[in-house]
Amino acid sequence: MTLATAARLRFTVNGRPAEVAGPGGRRLLDLLRLELGLTGTKEGCGEGECGACSVLLDGELVASCLVPVAQVQGRAVLTVEGLAREGRLDPLQVAFLETGASQCGFCTPAMLLAGRAFLASGAEPTEDAIREAIAGTLCRCTGYTRIVEGIRLAATDPPGAAIPAPALAPLAEAGGSPAALPSGAPEVVSPGSLADALAVLAAEHPRPIAGGTDLMVGLASRAATAAWPLLDLGDLDELRGIRLEPGRAAQFGALVLGALTTYAELRRSALVAEHLPVLAEMAASVGAVQVQNRGTLGGNIVTASPAGDSLPLLLATDAEILVESLRGRRSVPAAAFWPAYRQTALASDELVLAVRVPLPVGRHVRFRKVGTRQAQAIAKASVALAWREEGGTWRDVRVALGSLAPTPVRALATEAVLEGQRPTAALADRAAAAVAAEISPIDDVRSTAVYRRSVTARVLRRLILDAVPGRKAG
Amino acid sequence: MAPRRGDSRADSRADLAATVGRPPAASAGTVVGRSLPRREGPAKLTGAARYTDDLIVPGAWFGFTLRSTEAHARLLGLELDPAFDWSRVVVVTAAEIPGENVVHLMADDQPALVADVIRHVAEPVALVAAADPATARAARDAIRLRTEPLPAILDPLASERAFARYEIGRGDVEAGLAAADLVVEGTYRVGYQEQLYLEPQAMIAVPGEDRGVTVHGSLQCPYYVHAALARALGLAGEQVVVIQEETGGGFGGKEEYPSMLAIHASLLALRAGRPVRIVYDRHEDVAATTKRHPAVVTHRTGVTRDGRLVAQDVDVVMDAGAYATLSPVVLSRGAIHAAGPYACPNVRIRARTMATNTPPNGAFRGFGAPQTEFAAETQVNRVAEALGVSPLELRRRWAYRPGDVTPTGQVLRESVGAGVVLERVAEAADYEPVRARTAEARMARATRPAGARTDRLDGRTAHGIGLALAWHGAGFTGAGERFLASVAGVERSADGQVLVYTDSTEIGQGARTVLSQLVAEALGVPAEAVEVAPGDTSVVPNSGPTVASRTTMVVGGLLIRAAERLRADVEARTGAPFATSYRTDAAQAGRVRFDEQFEGYPGIVWDDATHRGDAYPAYSWAAAVAEVDVDLDTGEVRVGSVVAADEIGRVVNPVLAAGQVEGGTLQAVGYATIEELQARDGRYLNDRLATYLVPTAVDAPRIEAILLEEPFAGAPHRAKGLGELPMDVGAPAVIDAIHDATGAWIAELPATPERVLAALEAREGRR
Ligand SMILES: Cc1cc2nc3c(=O)[nH]c(=O)nc-3n(C[C@H](O)[C@H](O)[C@H](O)COP(=O)(O)OP(=O)(O)OC[C@H]3O[C@@H](n4cnc5c(N)ncnc54)[C@H](O)[C@@H]3O)c2cc1C
Ligand code: FES
Ligand code: FES
Repeated sequence: MTLATAARLRFTVNGRPAEVAGPGGRRLLDLLRLELGLTGTKEGCGEGECGACSVLLDGELVASCLVPVAQVQGRAVLTVEGLAREGRLDPLQVAFLETGASQCGFCTPAMLLAGRAFLASGAEPTEDAIREAIAGTLCRCTGYTRIVEGIRLAATDPPGAAIPAPALAPLAEAGGSPAALPSGAPEVVSPGSLADALAVLAAEHPRPIAGGTDLMVGLASRAATAAWPLLDLGDLDELRGIRLEPGRAAQFGALVLGALTTYAELRRSALVAEHLPVLAEMAASVGAVQVQNRGTLGGNIVTASPAGDSLPLLLATDAEILVESLRGRRSVPAAAFWPAYRQTALASDELVLAVRVPLPVGRHVRFRKVGTRQAQAIAKASVALAWREEGGTWRDVRVALGSLAPTPVRALATEAVLEGQRPTAALADRAAAAVAAEISPIDDVRSTAVYRRSVTARVLRRLILDAVPGRKAG
Repeated sequence: MAPRRGDSRADSRADLAATVGRPPAASAGTVVGRSLPRREGPAKLTGAARYTDDLIVPGAWFGFTLRSTEAHARLLGLELDPAFDWSRVVVVTAAEIPGENVVHLMADDQPALVADVIRHVAEPVALVAAADPATARAARDAIRLRTEPLPAILDPLASERAFARYEIGRGDVEAGLAAADLVVEGTYRVGYQEQLYLEPQAMIAVPGEDRGVTVHGSLQCPYYVHAALARALGLAGEQVVVIQEETGGGFGGKEEYPSMLAIHASLLALRAGRPVRIVYDRHEDVAATTKRHPAVVTHRTGVTRDGRLVAQDVDVVMDAGAYATLSPVVLSRGAIHAAGPYACPNVRIRARTMATNTPPNGAFRGFGAPQTEFAAETQVNRVAEALGVSPLELRRRWAYRPGDVTPTGQVLRESVGAGVVLERVAEAADYEPVRARTAEARMARATRPAGARTDRLDGRTAHGIGLALAWHGAGFTGAGERFLASVAGVERSADGQVLVYTDSTEIGQGARTVLSQLVAEALGVPAEAVEVAPGDTSVVPNSGPTVASRTTMVVGGLLIRAAERLRADVEARTGAPFATSYRTDAAQAGRVRFDEQFEGYPGIVWDDATHRGDAYPAYSWAAAVAEVDVDLDTGEVRVGSVVAADEIGRVVNPVLAAGQVEGGTLQAVGYATIEELQARDGRYLNDRLATYLVPTAVDAPRIEAILLEEPFAGAPHRAKGLGELPMDVGAPAVIDAIHDATGAWIAELPATPERVLAALEAREGRR
């Protein structure tokens, strides 16, 4: 297996088969707009933030600016051009027209697709649920009120009016495309097995790509990195799945989460809900729908951002990262995985296979992320707290923090304050003071050192207070 | 395109979505006052609508801009890397500008490309274009600027150069303050705000046969671009054509900046002899284009013990940035509105807008008023607190009534909606009862014993309710509309179509739909019988820019008059109603078109030199009640709901109008809470969407829009302006609610968690 140029890609767009050649690392957004002439899909940022480029990939809402075309092989893409049927607007489009959900219209294609995905999910059309379903798509015109209304209307009382759909411009001919094809997009190799993947990785050092939500950000304008070939992990079933490793005598059970597990999968998993629901809570706080559908645990771990939301939790739960190369398999404790700013313990020929989170009896885990927004927010500070309850006192206390140091860190001095204690309001205050003294956060574009220190202490205090027996949260 | 006339379900359902606070107008059943769907809606809903970057222009090259990285420097020269193959690209510098090197607007002080002195970071210095983006980018990166640094002035308070200064007032402020029982002082600061239209700036220039040029772009004001192009390219007006394509939002951000972009694209296109497209990515768009002006506003307010307003002394300083752009008129509007909508015998408003070595600030929905009205409203709420009266009650006493006189000496004769918006919003939001409950909760928190920080009363969130009132002058300030002398026309074509001719652009606000409704009503035909001509300067006349909440009131008024003349003309010939005869008349009479030119509103007098007189023909009025939850651990503010009542004379299309209120309200909520553009050394630090945050759907409050009508007799259709109004009132309502929840006044926008938590901790420390 070598890095040959990928063969022609086959997939469907709006139900019609499509076939293209060329580098697999170019953006699905460009493929749609420039090569297929489907300009209804918009670019508002190229960084996964605005959602204007959203399409449905096998029914899932994704930001097409973050999807390398190699990953649409064999899949179905739905764009706004595919919504109207037989020359008529579909009921969701009619509902948008009636409620006034479209003003300048630039977010509208993406909002419709977000709405379509929501309707298909069969979820109860409550205001909160609809808002969450569109939280990854910005609208600057409407204040969202009428978009929520439009989706609700389509869910509860789909309008049946027959409104003609305007004709679309014919697909752009080659050469008539609105812009030249982006040059210098990376090639992608998509191995079908872990063994193949490890062999290519060892021989040619392509960059692994999972969901692409870190790797693809701003790719189009980063000419320098574009030449670096990508190793698509998408077909590696060895990296998928969530399973329970039952406990044996003297050994706790564990949850094993494949590296390709997405945030959406964490939120849906019955095993996670039963054994480690805080993981689902964390996953719900990541980005918004589009990023949750594509972003993976493995990607979060290897990106090694101090703001990576899963990292403090993995520290607090004594997780191990399972990695493999042609040289063999090993397990690295989370505490040793992030040695320095944006660095990992991974060798260049290794892949992350899975994360193993032990499940000690009686352990509690809490997590709070502080960002400026309710969605699409990178943490300014995050706190994970874990302890094992033993006759009313806390054992094996872990306090792990995000965005407060160059790496995710444990607050060891604060843990010592809590270790072996009974939770009380006074203890919460002491721990808050300890953590404030222990950390040395910095000022950056997202927040200030003063705020970070203060908010970390207050959030930790709150997490402890909430665990004080008999104390009703205020 | 309008669906199913006669299918009442769609309309009534849509009408329901907007609460219209009036009985069905006498004209119900006709076209105005009905929520007809947006004309271009189906195109926008299917992906058929073409925005600039969607256009296929065979052979077009890609243009990029080389920008300064210093705030102030002498430009000594440009060095082109000899290793780069320059034969594949074109490069344009200031020396190659055929006309005058200015972006024509007010002061003509801004060059299209730096010639000798760099005055701000991200100032355009050179342009490059190539057949593909990668080559063009590489070429740009292969040019080095040789510069010699100059001292930069970054603080407007330290600047000695003003682009404009005004002093407005009446009565004797010092005497008023001296006579007052209580003088409340306050200083308020507001930061930058980015328009963040979702479609970034985009322009395509196509060179013509005769050295002329046609540009297609995302823009609000075709004739601004037209004038700027002719000037910079040294072309006659008829050699320049400006075409507005579907535009993905503007909010003022596409008022003046597209002129710059059009000049750039045209320079490259003329140089390359082929079309050139410039489409900014988001990063460049945020880094380089105009923002809402930061400002510092100081108030001294004198009141009597029994709560009469006797003196207002207001000082406004705005940061203009490096060039004048529209700053003098932004300041003027800000100053005129700076005392708030309150009757006061002694007022002095001093305002100045200062030059700094920062990217120029410009138009943004509200145009100076959101800054000064945030300060004015927060000041009124603080006075209410000082007097111990309800903010609602105080406004009831002070708010303008017909007959009151504004600081510029304007007597408000009619259509004064301050009272009605206040009462309606207070009632709909249950303002006083909720306020009584939040006050009780605040008392309970405040009176618990010292040292009991962690007892049961230690809530994690605090709920608060806040109120604000605003006014917004419709149309250009002062003599502006007379100078513009806008023209708009209505035609019955030879083939029996009705066409509206105006350069007023559809930028999402609904102009196309609303204007066709007004014309349809005047002609007595259904709205779908009226088409709006494309926004192409070779086709439509100059109806003035699409700004200042003027389109419905001013341009709508002209179109109604033109339509009435057309109707009379056809009916005189046919002796039958226009609706039944205009098509057949076309066969005999052919094309008939009537243009109307603006000549001024009766009785409106303004003196620009003294800033005295009737500043606007009419004002629109808004009140808003916001409810917030403040997280007492993190300082995060969640705005749960906003009820907004907006009085706009006449509601032409309730759903579209409510959409304006909702959208403007959310922008105001963002302005109040999270939209912070940080700058250091004249450079924006968070010029990306990952770091400049605007509210998502889960951050947005539930917004209830109440539309009210106090007809304005000066306009044939009685309508005033709406677009900007909601932006003025949301932020102070949120800040008041934060105070109601926590007892802390946040005097600087936005109320970020950092600022709120600092204020909470200061209060905790004091206990
Ligand atoms: C709009 C937006 C919002 C976001 N919000 C959040 C947020 O709230 N919280 C948060 O933590 N992150 C956030 N992110 C970042 C990102 O989504 C997460 O870090 C995500 O988990 C990355 O996973 P991925 O599969 O997309 O990674 P990719 O982009 O595919 O890869 C990231 C890195 O990991 C490497 N890699 C991936 N998988 C493996 C593997 N199995 N073995 C070895 N190397 C591997 C890649 O080579 C690359 O270096 C956001 C990103 C965007 C665009
Ligand atoms: S373009 Fe903004 S998310 Fe893709
Ligand atoms: S309608 Fe303009 S961004 Fe949503």
